[in-house]
Amino acid sequence: MMSSLMITAILRRGTLLLLLWWILTEGSRDGWVMGIFAVSGALWLSLRLVAPEATRFSLTGMGAFLGFFVCNSVRGGVQVALIALQGRRALQPGTLEVQLLLSSAAPRILMAGVLGLMPGTVSVRLDGRMLLLHVIDERMPIAAEVRALETRIARMFGESL
Amino acid sequence: MTGLEFPLALFLLTNLVVALLAAVRGPTAADRMLMALLFGSTGVGILVLLAYAGGGSELVDVALVLALLAAVTGIAFARRAWHAGDTSDD
Amino acid sequence: MIELAATILLCVGGFFYFAGTLGLLRFPDVYSRLHSLAKADNLGLGCILLGLAIQEESLAAALKLVLIWPLALTASAAVSYAIARHADALAIKPWRSREQK
Repeated sequence: MMSSLMITAILRRGTLLLLLWWILTEGSRDGWVMGIFAVSGALWLSLRLVAPEATRFSLTGMGAFLGFFVCNSVRGGVQVALIALQGRRALQPGTLEVQLLLSSAAPRILMAGVLGLMPGTVSVRLDGRMLLLHVIDERMPIAAEVRALETRIARMFGESL
Repeated sequence: MTGLEFPLALFLLTNLVVALLAAVRGPTAADRMLMALLFGSTGVGILVLLAYAGGGSELVDVALVLALLAAVTGIAFARRAWHAGDTSDD
Repeated sequence: MIELAATILLCVGGFFYFAGTLGLLRFPDVYSRLHSLAKADNLGLGCILLGLAIQEESLAAALKLVLIWPLALTASAAVSYAIARHADALAIKPWRSREQK
């Protein structure tokens, strides 16, 4: 008898992998035999490598995070492009040390990575809870933006800060 | 088709070459590592543009694989940088 | 209509690539060059992918183009962390402007 955890994991991951196969083959129906083999192989491998467990990962939280991420990476790109056009006169770089409130390692690593694509920040060193950032312009309200990102990541992982 | 794909691909290639020439005289090893970043995003951009400039949709697959490999190497790179640091972390 | 939108997106994409390279040439240290490459180039790629995807008739092929973006973003995020970490380990000090000194 399979646990309900296993069944939901198979259904979820199976649907995702089928969708991925459909995208990769650009919707063609010729390769569906290969597709069944590939999807079941990938599903088996994923269940072996990452055993299904109860998580508090929230899909709506992920949607909110993705929206926030896309908006801010556009903002970050525009900002840095404007600075590049003005040359180094417009730079006022500095460093900023942030204490993260996230309690587990995976969201912290995600946070350090994502900050490299957010407006004005690049992660330099993540050491436990301490995150050292390089900021392109010290006059920007970086600390507040870091907190806003952290709140969204926490919600996605089901953590309360 | 906008007819813009091919000229834009050439433009990106010019960008890449200029940046590469600048990197040769890059002062530190870290500066030269920036090329890994540049090749990832610019290379993928050139490939998808060429695919739509008449190169065939296989080039989109090439771009996808390039991006995938860049992501995997990037993560391996970051993990190494992590462990090579003076302060270790779990 | 779609063609106009695609043309605009492709041009904007090209502009961000240009800005990224400009930043690479103009910015004074490795950290600020990272800002310019990681952010501007990825936005350029995103615009180009979107510009091509909206012209695509097949939904699956359009999604395939869009799927490239998160992969490229993952690569950039990881590589830029690795570079910044390395520069920090080499004790490269961030550049400061004259008013800040």
